[in-house]
Amino acid sequence: MPPVVERLYSKEVVRRERFALIVGAAALLLTACGTSNNAGTSPSTGAPIVFGAAVSLTGAQSKEGGLTKQGYDMWLDWINQRGGIVVNNVKHPVQIKYEDDQSEANLSATLVQKLITDEKAQFILGPYGSAATATDAIVAEKDGIPMVEGNGAAQAIFNKGYKYTFGVLSPANKYLTGVLDMAATLSPKPATLAMLTANDNFSVEVAKAVEEYAPTKGIQVVFSKQYPAAAPDVSGLLSQAKAMNPDIVMNSGHLAEAIAINKAAKQLGVNAKIFAYSVGPSTPDFISALGPDANYVYDGSQWTPQVKYQPSFYLSVSDYVKAYQQKFGASAPPDYHVAESTAACLAFEKAIENAGSLDPGKVRDALAGLNVMTFFGQIKFDNRGINIYKPMVVEQIQNGVHYTVYPAAVANGKPLYPTPAWSTR
Amino acid sequence: MIAREQRLPRWVRRAVIAVAALGLLYVILGPLTSLDPAQQAGLPLLTDKLWFRIATTVAMFVVMAAGWNIIGGLTGYASFGNIAFFGLGAYAVGVLVSNQRWPFVAALIAAPIIAGLFGLLMGVALLRLRGHYFAVATLGVGVAVGEVVNNVPSLGASTGLFLPIVRSDLLFFYLMLGAALLAVIVTWVILRSRFGYGLLAIRENEEAAAVIGVNTTFYKVAAFCLAAALTGLAGGIFAQWNSFVNQENVFPISANVQMILMAVIGGTGTVLGPVAGAVVLELIIQTLAGGGTNAVYSQIGLGLLLMGCVIFIPRGVIDFFGGRSRLSLGYLRQTLRETSA
Amino acid sequence: MSQFTQQVILGLLLGGIYVAVALGFSLVWGVLNIVNLAHGALIMVGSYITWTLFVNRVIRAPLLFTFLLTFGINLVIVSLLLLLFTADFRSVTTTYSGAGLHLGSVVIPYIRLGGLLVALVLAGILWLILNRTRIGAGILAVGADRDAAQLVGIDLRHLYALTFAIGAAFAGVAGGIISTFQSITPTAGDPYTLQSFAVVILGGLGRVSATIVGGLAFGLIEVLGQSAPGLGSGYANAIAFVVLVLVLIVRPRGLLGRLA
Repeated sequence: MPPVVERLYSKEVVRRERFALIVGAAALLLTACGTSNNAGTSPSTGAPIVFGAAVSLTGAQSKEGGLTKQGYDMWLDWINQRGGIVVNNVKHPVQIKYEDDQSEANLSATLVQKLITDEKAQFILGPYGSAATATDAIVAEKDGIPMVEGNGAAQAIFNKGYKYTFGVLSPANKYLTGVLDMAATLSPKPATLAMLTANDNFSVEVAKAVEEYAPTKGIQVVFSKQYPAAAPDVSGLLSQAKAMNPDIVMNSGHLAEAIAINKAAKQLGVNAKIFAYSVGPSTPDFISALGPDANYVYDGSQWTPQVKYQPSFYLSVSDYVKAYQQKFGASAPPDYHVAESTAACLAFEKAIENAGSLDPGKVRDALAGLNVMTFFGQIKFDNRGINIYKPMVVEQIQNGVHYTVYPAAVANGKPLYPTPAWSTR
Repeated sequence: MIAREQRLPRWVRRAVIAVAALGLLYVILGPLTSLDPAQQAGLPLLTDKLWFRIATTVAMFVVMAAGWNIIGGLTGYASFGNIAFFGLGAYAVGVLVSNQRWPFVAALIAAPIIAGLFGLLMGVALLRLRGHYFAVATLGVGVAVGEVVNNVPSLGASTGLFLPIVRSDLLFFYLMLGAALLAVIVTWVILRSRFGYGLLAIRENEEAAAVIGVNTTFYKVAAFCLAAALTGLAGGIFAQWNSFVNQENVFPISANVQMILMAVIGGTGTVLGPVAGAVVLELIIQTLAGGGTNAVYSQIGLGLLLMGCVIFIPRGVIDFFGGRSRLSLGYLRQTLRETSA
Repeated sequence: MSQFTQQVILGLLLGGIYVAVALGFSLVWGVLNIVNLAHGALIMVGSYITWTLFVNRVIRAPLLFTFLLTFGINLVIVSLLLLLFTADFRSVTTTYSGAGLHLGSVVIPYIRLGGLLVALVLAGILWLILNRTRIGAGILAVGADRDAAQLVGIDLRHLYALTFAIGAAFAGVAGGIISTFQSITPTAGDPYTLQSFAVVILGGLGRVSATIVGGLAFGLIEVLGQSAPGLGSGYANAIAFVVLVLVLIVRPRGLLGRLA
């Protein structure tokens, strides 16, 4: 295990959390002192705080957009059950206004403008996908409205010096490097890697990071090619990769291509020791669509129901899973798209409390200085506004169930390795 | 199509002109009241940021639909690849501003030139094709240009290009409005010139046009270039307005279909048809957009509306309100009979 | 060499799917002069029917679509699919989907081979309908001269509806084939409308044989384009469409088209 990851899971984290708690408590105390005329009385109810979110409910990304909305709604229910966000001892109930961007980035920007101008949204929750996040970030920046997003991992968005956009999720370059860390611990150690990459900003960043990181782990990248984003068939590329006989087959793309690549791998008899896809296997759809063929597949995940974080507020990991299954009548636990969306709300909640104000500028500053531990992991932003402090984990599908297999400190299963040949399954 | 135009009573025409002029005045001057000094002076706020955004988008589609109309409506060559010009214009501004550090105004002048030159190349190569074959060849170019741009590292590849944010909604609204007016004026001038008659002749019968001395190749390519330059201009303005250019944003095939739908709904081959189509359709799309959590139903509504449009007003909005038609069951029945077989 | 053979085979197999996809599109376009923007959506209807058949073992009659206004129809269909089936990803995965013919190091997956065969059979059926039946003669007559066809007593409305229905049914079968190698979502059909355009025109409008040639050629170009020398594989789509444009410049009526 690399020292960085190990450290994040060690007891130091717990210590740091305690420190964060104390700092947080102190900050609250200070805020309370600042408004001492109210101190001691029970919070009164103030005007509702309006959040706006343009998510894809129709179009190509309606699945992922739907998961994003579920994540926001999870927090909405919880916070309103408790009466709302406490600002200066006044409880403000919360509303989230939704708009459907039809999976079109240009429309998303217009809708964010609509949310801010017409619906009087004071804060913006991010859309799904890196392209929409980029256009929305520009509107938020122009209007000086803070936006926290959990579904746009491309770092390009955060390298432009925008002041009002924050991402609670680990950036794209972290998606598949965890799989490489894990691979280095396995025996016999895989030596070669083939990479198939969708030609979009997020997926290319994921692939670049893998190409740079793999040699440091003694894994040689023997094949790396891009395909046009949303290509319906990738069997040609996969057969080229097969000729190199790689130990690891990786895909940096999206759910549809992950399913297509897995099907093509079976049809062409590609027998790698590890199949790892950046986005897709974590969703219940991947398992229901592929059935037993989904087994043994790895993915890099922002979050799994097995992580062992000790949150300082909101629900614990297991309570979150239970609340999700109850609310949506689902048997499967929430996947990370839901969790990261909820985490975006949590960042806002804490930042607004810390700011003690609904002023967008003050909330922005509070977001910049935020450092809390949640069920989703640590939320803290670097000076670009992206959360590089939370690690990713590695999941594997075993017998139709997701298991967290790496890092060992949070794992609830061991990697089934190597993946058996298709003919022997 | 022009010959069918009917004279309305003089007072009706005067009233319509007066209302249109007032509307135009509001559209052009209204935004000025949202300036900070105006707000501080307590003038009533006629506009907000959302209004700007929608109005700018509408104007953008007016340019695209009017540009398409020059080649598709006047000349009769249905291009499915005009989005390539929009994208090229956008990328021209994107590259020149963010990589070459040109001032925006200089880059904006380059945008229609680059798009126009590409239109020239494309026109010379493809305008020999007819009908469906021309449509699909242009579609192919539209797709290919977008895909190539998405792979070239110096154009930002799949990451796209980020331009410095310019915080003036007013600037982009007036720029786009100016481009829309330019597009309308260009169409108007064409329709009243020898050039325009040549284009109409080509549309009605290309061989006959050639026989009576129209240099068909030159006319067609010139029309295509004009359409390309106008569309490229809109793309260039969009690039700086949106501050972010990538394949998904500036080469959407959906916008390609949309501009054609607009020209068709408004009425092809007329000056104001594409304008009316763009304004009506884009406003409907923008009104139905969002729709909170009932989004699916608004999509269905839009679909039904489009189907209804094609069944009931096949000659376009302008013809529907301005021509011989009346909003009566008889008209609808007659239209149905004409379109059904 | 075997690598190249494998690429060619995969290209042809993909081409088979394009043939299936484009057959109905070509018919509706060539005869009715309707560019059916809802074709992709109709394909996905077929995918869902296949999926329902596999999962629920319920046989349903094919749906008849007599709408004409395809963009609107597309929006409506996609939205309704979204309501009916939600945006969940589905897929048809069978136990035999991994089997294939092994020739040395070259693999021909049976399920894709089956797709190609179905496409060719479909093409044969369409050819028979068009050339050996009264209805087919009617369709061809309407395609050739609408007014003359009406004069000799062909009911245009009836024939239009029928042709569109045949096109939709073919789209449905294509969707069934697609569901075996790709996941199904309500919007997954959209890219196929674009491919249909290219395939139909590449071959030449309105003839069954031309659509077969166009489909196989387009599949081949797409797969081989991924390993084009000097360019990244990300250019595959660009190459495919540039080739389409070049073919049209050289042969303005497609590969097999006759000059009118």
